[in-house]
Amino acid sequence: MTTATPTSLRASLRLWQLISPSLPVGAYAYSSGLEQVVETGRVRSERDAAEWIEGVLHGLARTDLPILLRVHGAVAARDLDEAIEWCRTLVAMRETAELRAADRHMGQALACLLEDLGLPMPRCDWPFAGAYAFGAAHGGVSAVLAAAGYAWAWCESHVAAAIKLVPLGHTAGQRILLGLGPAIEAAVARACALGDDDIGYGMPGFAIASARHETQHTRLFRS
Amino acid sequence: MAAEPSCARGAPPRPPVNAERVGDRTSSPPRGWHARIELAFRRARERTVVASRHSGPLYIQRPFYPGDGVCHVYLLHPPGGLVGGDRLEISCSIGTGAAALVTTPAATKFYRSAGSPSRQDLAVRVADGASFEWLPQETILFGGSIVESTTEIGLAANARFVAWETISLGRPAFGDLYRSGRLDQRTRIAVDGRPILIERTIFEAGDAVLERDWGFGGRTVLGTLYAYPADARALDAARGRLDAFSGLYAGASVVDDVLVVRALAASAETLREAFESVWAALRAAVIGRAPCAPRIWRT
Repeated sequence: MTTATPTSLRASLRLWQLISPSLPVGAYAYSSGLEQVVETGRVRSERDAAEWIEGVLHGLARTDLPILLRVHGAVAARDLDEAIEWCRTLVAMRETAELRAADRHMGQALACLLEDLGLPMPRCDWPFAGAYAFGAAHGGVSAVLAAAGYAWAWCESHVAAAIKLVPLGHTAGQRILLGLGPAIEAAVARACALGDDDIGYGMPGFAIASARHETQHTRLFRS
Repeated sequence: MAAEPSCARGAPPRPPVNAERVGDRTSSPPRGWHARIELAFRRARERTVVASRHSGPLYIQRPFYPGDGVCHVYLLHPPGGLVGGDRLEISCSIGTGAAALVTTPAATKFYRSAGSPSRQDLAVRVADGASFEWLPQETILFGGSIVESTTEIGLAANARFVAWETISLGRPAFGDLYRSGRLDQRTRIAVDGRPILIERTIFEAGDAVLERDWGFGGRTVLGTLYAYPADARALDAARGRLDAFSGLYAGASVVDDVLVVRALAASAETLREAFESVWAALRAAVIGRAPCAPRIWRT
């Protein structure tokens, strides 16, 4: 992935590759606490799952997405220190050991992959959104589209987790994804509107569910 | 916590007269009260002494040495609460090898604001080999309060630290169901200057985050306890204590050596009991001392 003159089609191809579920970063292994709320019966239906995922998207809109936009901007401005500083901030916002480990594993996996694909990556404690923004910026994907793609991929992977866990049928999963459209748009719009000082969002129930997942007996997922 | 080993006897200080402002003041003075205190703890021979500088209504009583080798300090805010425009600024520095514990004799109340925010800013620096425990009573957000709060913790890598923060929404017993109000609370913990945990609790009354399961789930009390440095043993101890409490939705995890316990409850008392219990279970491992509850907690 070298810097090329971005045509919109080329940039779209780059984006699709980055948000594909087959991107080998192990996203399928993480449920971000969804497995815990299914276990405790808080999420039992298609509607519950949609509500939970849409809820957690509130947090994404105020943490991952605005930081992704800033890393993207810093990379475009060739300000690596700034990009790395934002990556540090995002890692420090991860609430629990599992969420932090998941983000670091996926971030590191993507950074290694991008490096293997020919994009020199600086040394960094990469959160996934940071490595992703780096790859997207170098692939000519615009910041807003990169953010929307990230939110989409995040929803897609959590809907896949819900299908396994609740469990739900595949049509139900697609219905949830379709229904999340407006929430994804709203999340991206909000992320774009936030100032540096507005970044950060606590979701206590989400963080507690993730912490409790660490001691859950039977688990398919690593978070 | 009744079964915890007790500490050396000493006369408990008298609880301060709570010169609470009368009623819910709704109008703010043009410029609010700005109360400020700087506490500098340092090790002097065998014990820790404190120097205090303050302006406005924020004081400490004479420190108390209950026999655990720690300088216990009670921080008093005689007005008892803040209206819009008021500000509390607290800074604590704990010098090399010193050991301090700060608590408050009463809850901090944020009253209804006419429009401008009330602020509390806490800055803590804990030096090499020093320990600090920040264990205040809860913060009560009255309906209509507008609150901004920051907590900045700077730790040396080999410092020891425990803190908790508890917020209570409204006063359901008095019919105050927090129908309006705003909170923006930030907490940042850095070790050797590197941010290790950044937290933010931000909401407005009526927001989905207060109602939904991923947020407060309709509960009105949120507590967060931090401990550094924490290992698997400390984590197990915390989890063991939390499991003993019903009426609590809580989780503990260790992120880059900081133990974070988050708990939601319907009552501040339940949460406080649980946190005192967790603190007692952690103290030896994290602070290196046997639990010794400040006497004022029992008065």
